[in-house]
Amino acid sequence: MVATAKHALEETRPIISGQSRARALLRLNFSRNSGNGQTVLAESYQDAPLKVVRAFTLEDGTALAHLHNVSGGLLGGDRLAMQVSVGSGARVQLTTTGATRIYRAREGSSATTQSSEISVGESALLEYLPDATIPFAGARYQQRTSIDLAAGAGMFWWEIVAPGREARGEIFEYEEFAMRTRVSALGRRIVAENLCLRPRQESVSSLARLGNYRYAATFYICRVGLEAGGWPDAEDRLRELTAGMTQRGKILWGVSSLLAHGLIVRCLALNGREVLPGLRAIWRSAKRHLYDREAIPPRKVN
Amino acid sequence: MKPERESPVLTPSEELAHLRLLHLADSALPIGSLAHSFGLETLVSAELLQVGDLPEFLHGYLQEAGTLEAVACREAFQLTLAGGDEFPVAQWIEINDFLSAVKPARESRAASATLGRNFLHAALGVDDSRVLREARTASLQSTGLIHQSAAFGLVSGALGFEETHAVLAYLHQMSACMVSACQRLMPLGQTEATRILWNLKPAIVEVAANSASLTLETVSCTMPLLDWGAMEHPALATRLFIS
Repeated sequence: MVATAKHALEETRPIISGQSRARALLRLNFSRNSGNGQTVLAESYQDAPLKVVRAFTLEDGTALAHLHNVSGGLLGGDRLAMQVSVGSGARVQLTTTGATRIYRAREGSSATTQSSEISVGESALLEYLPDATIPFAGARYQQRTSIDLAAGAGMFWWEIVAPGREARGEIFEYEEFAMRTRVSALGRRIVAENLCLRPRQESVSSLARLGNYRYAATFYICRVGLEAGGWPDAEDRLRELTAGMTQRGKILWGVSSLLAHGLIVRCLALNGREVLPGLRAIWRSAKRHLYDREAIPPRKVN
Repeated sequence: MKPERESPVLTPSEELAHLRLLHLADSALPIGSLAHSFGLETLVSAELLQVGDLPEFLHGYLQEAGTLEAVACREAFQLTLAGGDEFPVAQWIEINDFLSAVKPARESRAASATLGRNFLHAALGVDDSRVLREARTASLQSTGLIHQSAAFGLVSGALGFEETHAVLAYLHQMSACMVSACQRLMPLGQTEATRILWNLKPAIVEVAANSASLTLETVSCTMPLLDWGAMEHPALATRLFIS
């Protein structure tokens, strides 16, 4: 464990010393208590500004943890890393305490980076349900996420990207927002996504990109080993739900089956108010269908 | 007396390669290219895309999807330069597996794989190349998909085309197929369609050049709206296209 933490810290070390700000690692290992069936945060390693106060136990035994950044946001040049391990049979819910703010990059500073390495063990379940990410004017942000799903593992994972601080009139005034996501199931890659928006260099409002929409969300719903025919049925069910949520000109929802073991949902919205409620509705429906269990919305800790 | 103009001198073998590349890159090659809109039909059906939007939309499409497919085309092409007696099966499978994972919409992923398989089959029908046979066998044995851009790159390399010419040709047929789809979906006449495709050529050249410095791991492709169109295409009540 110490070796892993040190390696991850090496990864967060700046290429040019003196030009980055925070270098921090958050490592969380969850395991299932075989006695009472509840999931506990068995081990954690936390570098400031990253913090998890404690894991709360939900009524179904799921461990809920809130991911804090005590500095209030990601500053230019910050290099943050998160490693989460969900042990066999464990159930974990991760959320944020609020929107993730990406501040302007100082001249000469490197891009703000955030890397996440996630492993979900056999028959375990991870629900990653953060608030939106808001890149401020001048922000440069690169996010790398790598998720590995074992046999029977499940995942609900969403990301919401705002156009900026709308109330201040900042709409697509950031320099760069890049998200690289890899999801593997049973050692086989099922998702490889490299999204990158550079509003000052390319037209974000191109109909090939976001069109007139401002918010973009992606939601991955996975369960490794669902029986054959299960995903077309799940896709149809969720499409029926999202068809009722789509309002052209305001918010669009799309659903499709991944290469294997899951679904992807894409949302484009003019304003962010309806995105999170929509994602929650889809999550509730999908969890009921895939697990015959109710989705418990995370209680927010402010 | 006619003014003299310098023209590149092609050897007979280069002329033959040029003609073969034109043939394989023709959107009329009977592999089913014209049956797919890759989500465009949904955008038109939702009245999100009009004729006046097409030049800008296609430019963005080339920058995003075009760059991704161009990189895949190059990486597959370069497999044929590896030398040695053994075909680099693992790398061939990896390129196609990556493309499968990077295409989020089921129908578009399937469309690319159908066209890839058909294209490889068509190429084997005119040139029974060992490399192409091994590639097809490897894909069948791995139960993986063969994507169109990868198949085009591999065939181009195996048949001795020049790499950048192959990428340019691939991007051109990709653009031509989209313009053709637009003609069937929108009030876009032949003259305007020709002009739109003509004016895309500088963008095609630029995308081809940019793709040379990228890899599949590093190239980005950001098309949330077209992704939505592709994802929701199965829900259209009336469809002209398979995807």
